[in-house]
Amino acid sequence: MISDAQHASAQIAEIEAVRRAVRQSNFYRLASVIVILWGVVTAVGNLASHAWPRSAGSIWIGLDIIGVLATSALGLNMRGRGYPRAFDWRTPVAFALFFGFGLLWSVGLGRFGPRELSVFWSTLFMFGYAVAGLWLGAAFVVLGVGVAGLVTLDYFFAGPWFDIYLALFNGGGLVAAGLWMRRA
Amino acid sequence: MTTPDDTIHQPVRLRIMAALTALPARADGIDFSRLKKLTGATDGNLGAHIDTLVRARYVAVAKTFVGRRPRTTVVSTADGRRAFAAHVAFLRSVIDRSAE
Repeated sequence: MISDAQHASAQIAEIEAVRRAVRQSNFYRLASVIVILWGVVTAVGNLASHAWPRSAGSIWIGLDIIGVLATSALGLNMRGRGYPRAFDWRTPVAFALFFGFGLLWSVGLGRFGPRELSVFWSTLFMFGYAVAGLWLGAAFVVLGVGVAGLVTLDYFFAGPWFDIYLALFNGGGLVAAGLWMRRA
Repeated sequence: MTTPDDTIHQPVRLRIMAALTALPARADGIDFSRLKKLTGATDGNLGAHIDTLVRARYVAVAKTFVGRRPRTTVVSTADGRRAFAAHVAFLRSVIDRSAE
């Protein structure tokens, strides 16, 4: 029977620890679906860029719009089931800042070829994942650093199969990371 | 003055209720394997404690199939949420009394 404050404090601490684990696990589950979604978007985009290089710009714009709409729908679905908001207003603002920074260099300041452009966008967002991981959880740091490393290797060593390997490493890496996060 | 809940204060059942009540009331519950990981209990031990909570009407169990694999999902009831909140209030009152 609970008769002393020490025992009561231990039970409260136990409750808080379990609740933290559940919240982290729920967050990883939602985030994993979004990471898998963007993995598929990335893989399709890279494969389509390989097949139709002249239409790559339009393909990526279309795919990015689909990805953003699907991500918003997933978030709304979770909210509808009573889950607290996993991402607040700072998340879309952070995405807008990343896109803005990327566009500034892609179409303004940078002198990138198609290959450098692909690596730039991939590593830019992986850098974002890694930094966000410092607050959200170690899985994001591993994902960001791991995929950025693979993409960099792809740039130097993949030769004419660059887009195919990018689909595999970047898209496939995101899908694999999302599946791994579901088990965490 | 609140009183402790003898069903909930057992450590594994406390963890089960803490996990289930961390979800929104409309949520689908937690499946058995995830609950096992969260509580650190073995299959048999977890099953026995869930049975105790079901008899107290603090949780409900749903068995479904995902493909061919059976899936057991546990969800807290309104009674369970109330009892857990009352137990937490009791724990806090014990801590507060000792600080006075």
